[in-house]
This record gives sequence, structure tokens and C-alpha cells, in this order.
Amino acid sequence: MAVQPPDLATARGADPAADPLDATATGPARASRRRGTGKGLWIPGTILGLIVLACFAWPLVYRDLPSPTAGSLLAANLPPFSPGHLLGTDPLGNDIVSRLLHGGRVSLEVGLTSNAIGLLLGGSLGMFAAFRGGWLETVTMRLLDMLIAFPSLVLVLVVSTYLTPSKLNVIWAISFFSIPTFARLARAATLRLREQVYVVAARLAGQRDGAILLRHIAPNVLPQLLTYSLLWVAAAIAIEASLSFLGFGVPASEPSWGMMISRGQAYISSNPELVLIPSACLFLTIVCLNTLGDALRARTGAP
Amino acid sequence: MTAGNGTGRPLLEVRNLVQEFVVRAHGGVRGGVVHAVSDVSFEVRAGETLGVVGETGSGKSTMVRSVLQAPPPKSGEVWFQGVDLAGARKRRDLVAARRQMQAVFQDPYGSLDPKWTVFSIVEEPLAAYRTGDRRQRRARVEEVLDLVGLDPSVFGDRKPGQLSGGQCQRVAIARALTLAPALIVCDEAVSSLDVLSQAQVLNLFERLRAELGLSYLFIAHDLALVKQVSDRVAVMYLGTLCEVGPAEELYRNPLHPYTKALLDSIPSPDPERPRPRVPDELAGEPPSPLDPPSGCRFRTRCPRAAEICAVEAPPVRAARPDHTVACHFPLSPAAPVSPVEQSGDSAAE
Repeated sequence: MAVQPPDLATARGADPAADPLDATATGPARASRRRGTGKGLWIPGTILGLIVLACFAWPLVYRDLPSPTAGSLLAANLPPFSPGHLLGTDPLGNDIVSRLLHGGRVSLEVGLTSNAIGLLLGGSLGMFAAFRGGWLETVTMRLLDMLIAFPSLVLVLVVSTYLTPSKLNVIWAISFFSIPTFARLARAATLRLREQVYVVAARLAGQRDGAILLRHIAPNVLPQLLTYSLLWVAAAIAIEASLSFLGFGVPASEPSWGMMISRGQAYISSNPELVLIPSACLFLTIVCLNTLGDALRARTGAP
Repeated sequence: MTAGNGTGRPLLEVRNLVQEFVVRAHGGVRGGVVHAVSDVSFEVRAGETLGVVGETGSGKSTMVRSVLQAPPPKSGEVWFQGVDLAGARKRRDLVAARRQMQAVFQDPYGSLDPKWTVFSIVEEPLAAYRTGDRRQRRARVEEVLDLVGLDPSVFGDRKPGQLSGGQCQRVAIARALTLAPALIVCDEAVSSLDVLSQAQVLNLFERLRAELGLSYLFIAHDLALVKQVSDRVAVMYLGTLCEVGPAEELYRNPLHPYTKALLDSIPSPDPERPRPRVPDELAGEPPSPLDPPSGCRFRTRCPRAAEICAVEAPPVRAARPDHTVACHFPLSPAAPVSPVEQSGDSAAE
């Protein structure tokens, strides 16, 4: 929304013509894009909101939810719609609904926090490097390029093996390679903003470099990073799932969607729902995040 | 440069300003050094408007950017209120010395941060220079917004995206005024506005000059407009100044062949009169500043060029009082007068 005020002004001012015959050549295209953007925002937004609410608030409100890990073997492999276990139980007798909700929590926590770290660290690194320029920029960006060139899954595996497997370490491992991506994005945006006349004007107004970076550059870079970070949350959740699937993820005491899939695959022929249910949740969340990110990106005009 | 009538020290004195940029060759673009501004000297006296005209790419904007030290010039001196800005060692000294020199730029939207409100944009210089407390700053911002004709209670909380181009330019002017400057540098400040807002902004400039005793360094490519607002006019070609003189006189009796060619290209508002041909001299592109001609920069397109023009750059000479020209063969004052009398009223395109 920040990039081209004049364009935006016309886009907002132009009333989507009620009569399609009246509309100019660009009219219908623009109107449909706007309508599409609205849908693209609200549908995935609502679904995501429900998922977050269910994962984080439901276990707090609904106290009778069975524990996700302390199931009884006596109640193992119950089919869906069994009394007390809406989606049944897994081979260890753990309630699947409970595991889904707790697992979603872990997945979202990992996804969101690792992105927040990447956005904060990577974003400030990229902005700073681009703003200062010179050898500092070159060195920083080349170092980050090296991180990008490294196969990401191997990197994450190394990090989470050397550090003991825990949720926090998985978060660090994933943010480790979201940092370069955010840094590059922030750098590109900053390079463009640095040449803006209002930055020159701020300098002439006596503003210090730090203040310009913080008050002029950062607020204009942030929307681009935020929309992109939504796409990255989806990627981070997928990475966490792969890590858990490989057995390097969060410990077994905290189920995640990825872990549920990996545990369930042994029973895929007899109890396919063990894999299908968490996969569907993962799929829905990632699709929603991607659609939302795309819609926001289209709306803000970020690259 | 020779000051014709010495009335004390000029407000701004630029001596031998040089700005060059190194471009690396890549993707079919030839590398080398762009001689954007070469050895330019001029002055702006207190209370006057110096207009600078020239074709696109003649280095006008680069020249004023160097004067503003954004970025600083490669060499040369920029004396403002008795301090050499280009020689300032520390950033703090520069910022302090530049306080009374503010600028208004061409792109009204681009010069305002889209995320900021009008109020905070206009307040920014005060805050950056740590002037006054919050209440005093608020009062000052409202004062200058009133001065440029924007109601602070209406526009104060708006963002640039909610303003028209003319309103944005007023905000930019208000920002330039907050620190009570002595000189305002206008880099094509009205070029991107429609004719009506152009007239309004120009009237605003004129009123501010009368009320606050401001001086202007006014850059534009519109000759008629520059004539209208300037006391003196400097003509720029390919990074050098060809001619500097009082506006009326320079437009009536140009001394430099380039100035004459430029003036001849102004269309007349009289439909009966034949449309002026673009003079042969100005047909085609000017030479590249990557590889400017030796000697006089204009010699490749000049009808009067002789051998000496390729060998030696013409020195700046005072041809008449307060009227200098850099040409080996200036047009004599008795040269036939071209029909440019009406040009001042011609529509500003």
C-alpha cells in the first residue's frame, strides 16, 4: 500500500462500474482483481483464525480434552466417532483430536516464532547492509548467500542434531535459513527506498542515519517482509513436519503434525486415517497461509 | 566569477564545482567517468532568485544536489552564509551549516514518506534539529501549514496518498520553511504539476519571498517559467554554465549561441506566427557526458565554432555589467533580436 500512492489513489477512487458496458478496458480487470483480493483475504484468514483458535484456546476452555500422550493401550486403535474420541485413537491409545490440537500448536509455534526471528534478524541485517553499502554490504550478503547455497534440510538436520532435539532448537534451526531470505528481500527493498527523494529530504532536514533507517526505511520495508513471511510460515511448518517425520524434530512428549504423520505411516494400510487426518490439517493450514500471503502481496503491491 | 555589483558577500557562492560519477561497464553499457558537472561557478545573492535552465541531462539536478551536499561534490567550494559546506569535515558541522538551506524536489509524492502524516512530515526538520519543545513545534508546524495555505486541522492527520500533487508540493514547501531558511533550492519544483497548481505554487513562492525575504535557486527546463520567476538566469549545457545574466537582458540579448538556440525554440502563443523550427544546433542528442567534447562543450553543435573552440575551453568573461558568458565568439549585443518578447507569457508546458 505504500509503494505508489498516486496509483492507489486512482485505484481506490475508481468506482467499480455497475454497468460492465460502461467500464473502460482496465475497469473490469481492476474490479475483478479487487473482488478476488477480498475473497483471497477473508476465506483463508477465517480458516486460519479458526485453526489458531482451536489449537490454542480450545484445550484451555474444554478441560475434559484427553491428554495427547498419556493414552491407555486398552483404548488403542479406536475407530472414528467412538464415544469420547471423536476421531478415534492411535495405536498407543492417545486421543487423535487432542493430538491434532496440541500438534497444531507446536507446528504453528515453530512456524510463527522461527519466522519472527528470521524477519527480525534477517530483515535488520539486510536493511542495515543495504543502507550502509560498501564492503559491509558485500561481506554480509556473500555470507548469507553461502547459507542459501547450502542444502537447507541438511543444515537444519545438522543444527538440530548437534543441539539436543527440542522445540526451541528446531525453531532456531529453521530460522537459521529463513534469515538469508529475509535479508535479501529487505536489502532489495532498502536499495530502492534509499534512493527515494523523501530519504534525501530527511537527510537535508538534518535527520540522522539511524533515525532515517528506523523511521523511514523500516516502516516501508516491513509490509513487504510481513506478506512474504506468511509464505514462509507455511514453509517452516512443512520443514518442521519433515524434521519430525525424519525423527529430528520436537521430542515425543510434544506431538506435532509432522510426528503424527511419521508415526502413522507404519499403519498406513490398516489405519490410513492416522496419516490422512494430520496431513489434511497440514495441507489446509499451508494452503491458507499461501493464499493469504499471495492475496496480501497482490494488495500491497510488494514484489 | 566576476560579481558585477558588489553588494556585500553573496548568500551562496559556488566556486569551481565538479561532480563526476564512475560507471562500470556492463551489459552493453559503456563504462567510464560521467562528467556531470564541470567547473561551475555562480552565486545567489540575498533576496534574489537565480534560475537555472538547460536541456534534460545538462546536469542541473546533479549540480543542485552537489550544492546541497547530497551527495557532496567531487571538488569545488560551496560557500553558504560564510561556511564552506563542501569543506565541512564532520557531518555535524555540515548539518549545522546547511540548516538554512532547504530544498523542494520535483516529484511531489516521492518527496514525502507515504507512511507519515502531513503533521509529522512538516515537523521532521524541527525534531531532527531538536528545536523547541512539543508545544512550540506544534505551533510552528501549524504556522507554516497556514503559510502555504493548508488548514492544519484538515490536513494535519492526512497521509500523502490522500493529497493532490499540488497539495503534496505545498507540504514539501512547508517542510522546507519550518526551519526559517534563507535559501530554498527548487529542483524542478513545479515541473510535474498541472498548470493551475503550477501557478498557485509559483505565487506562493513569490509571496514567501516578499514576506520572508527568501532567496531561491530555481531549476527548471521551462524557459518561459524561469524568465517569469528569476532575477538572474544561468544557462547550463552539458555540465557547464554558458551564460549568467539578468533575466530580462539575457532573454532579450543572449550572448551565448546556445542560449540563443534555446530561446529560438520557444513556441509563440500567437497562432498566426509560424511555429519555430527547432534550431539546427539543437537537432539530435547532445554529446554524452561520458565523453564530452574537448574545449568548449557546445562546439559540436555551434554554428560559430572555430578551431580554437576545440582546443581551449572558453573562459568566463563579463561581457556586460553583471552578465557573464563563456564563449570565444559571443553574439554581439547588436545581434538581431529574436522574437522572444512574449515568451514570458507563453503557456507553461
